[in-house]
Amino acid sequence: MLYSSTGTYAAISRAVLRGTLAGIDEVNADANSPIGFRPVVRDPGGEIDRYAPLCDDILANSGARHIFGCVTSSSRKEVIPTLDRTNAMLWYNLPFEGFETSNRVIYNHACANQHLLPLLSWCFGSFGAKPYLIGSNYIWGWETCRVARMRTEEANGQVLGERYLPLGEENIATLIAEIESLRPDFILNSLVGASSYAFLRAYAELGRRDPHFSCDSCPVVSCNLTEAELPLLGEAAEGLVSVGPHFCPQACPEGRDSSFEIISRQSVHTLASMLAVQGDRPFEKFIAERGAGFGIDPATHHSTLSVNVAQVRRGVFEVLHHWADVPPDPYLTRPKRHPGISRPRLSVVS
Amino acid sequence: MGGQMHIPNLDQACAVVMHPVPDHAAALMRQLTAIGLTVSHAWPDLPSSAISADFIFYDTDMGHDDQFPWEPGCAPMPMIALVGSEAPGRIEWAARMGADALLLKPVGSGGAFSALLMAHHSFELRRSLNAEIKQLHHRMSARQTVVQAVALLSAQGKSQDAAYDQLRQMAMAWRINVEDAAARIVENANNEGSLRDSN
Repeated sequence: MLYSSTGTYAAISRAVLRGTLAGIDEVNADANSPIGFRPVVRDPGGEIDRYAPLCDDILANSGARHIFGCVTSSSRKEVIPTLDRTNAMLWYNLPFEGFETSNRVIYNHACANQHLLPLLSWCFGSFGAKPYLIGSNYIWGWETCRVARMRTEEANGQVLGERYLPLGEENIATLIAEIESLRPDFILNSLVGASSYAFLRAYAELGRRDPHFSCDSCPVVSCNLTEAELPLLGEAAEGLVSVGPHFCPQACPEGRDSSFEIISRQSVHTLASMLAVQGDRPFEKFIAERGAGFGIDPATHHSTLSVNVAQVRRGVFEVLHHWADVPPDPYLTRPKRHPGISRPRLSVVS
Repeated sequence: MGGQMHIPNLDQACAVVMHPVPDHAAALMRQLTAIGLTVSHAWPDLPSSAISADFIFYDTDMGHDDQFPWEPGCAPMPMIALVGSEAPGRIEWAARMGADALLLKPVGSGGAFSALLMAHHSFELRRSLNAEIKQLHHRMSARQTVVQAVALLSAQGKSQDAAYDQLRQMAMAWRINVEDAAARIVENANNEGSLRDSN
């Protein structure tokens, strides 16, 4: 396990770590499974330059060949050269922006055609095509906003503003003032961790001051908000919109059972059943030949997933729109795999 | 072509990878398949079906002019050079064949997508610039004809400004550009020695 249990996105790390460890316990407790796991845990503490050395350390000193790790794309990109050199695998269980299909990574969560595109399509239909874009200042925020900008222009909309905050930045007064004066149709939030929590609390406060900024007329939508962070947000979570392959249908203590946690748990089971029949073949060759049987697309190492747009109502995500079985398109080159909402065409009658 | 790089629809796109050792091209072909392209391998010669391919990847270490059915630099699709030896002679050859992007060998798990985007972008830019240059050449070479046509029209007693204005109106009426209208007037004058039709 290579997750940061401290640092700005620790709540997310704890969810994936909890899911992975639960999966390991279940596999180890299964008398029918020929596979048992011994977890080796390293904690980079949210510092980007500690990921590659700790990945090296795991592979060199523990005999582990499979790493469950990394929350941010930046940290994933840090460890890929080590994985390439040592032929080890990374199981990456978070949504990401796509544009990567490393032979050494299994991407179990959603890529942009499974989160951002359907979310935007739903927002354009429900609120309008004048978004305000905010994100943390690294590749997840940049690429999410870039795709959102292109889609908005294609929908004949207009991006009213686009701002990036450094990871961990909590000073958001200027941002709130700008949103208040621009009055967008909705806000796409790709901030992570502390910045996101600070922004969402301040935005809830703005909504109490000015009814335009309520979840019914100008919601905050995100591709990376799950149950795992609801306890940290409290009341400020009410009305937030998110998108994901799974939402827990009832209130979960400590934000348990998020898609991060569930996909992490499932991925351990997938690994166990693959190892049970892998034989002598190298793992990447095994995926190429048999991956599809385990839900992993051999071409992209991604999965076909459900897509749900959901809103927090009384502390629980309520699904508002559902698409079943959306195949992955990590490079956004296959429009047939882009779920949308067909809307009646409106015309002006004079 | 603005600053924004649009991702082309590659759902039905085909790429041909020209490489002497298919096994060495496997990682590249895997990447292209993940991106959504249909990929085929060719060596040494391009099959005739390659004329309809959307992208060609070609090896620069072992490649030579005769592999391609078109003149160097005249490929009808974006071309991506697979560079092994960085000897200047090989880079020069890659450039002469019309490389729109480069990809260094050995190809690992990345690089193909940026090469595709860059090649697509460069190819479209070159194509639109070539079309514009051709049009400007045509207009430049037509300058003398325009001067002749204005001279012919003003010979009927008009000022040069009025004659040019008349030329523009005739072009509009004939629904052609000014240069083509001028060519028609000059041709008529040469054929018939008069401007009977000009009014």
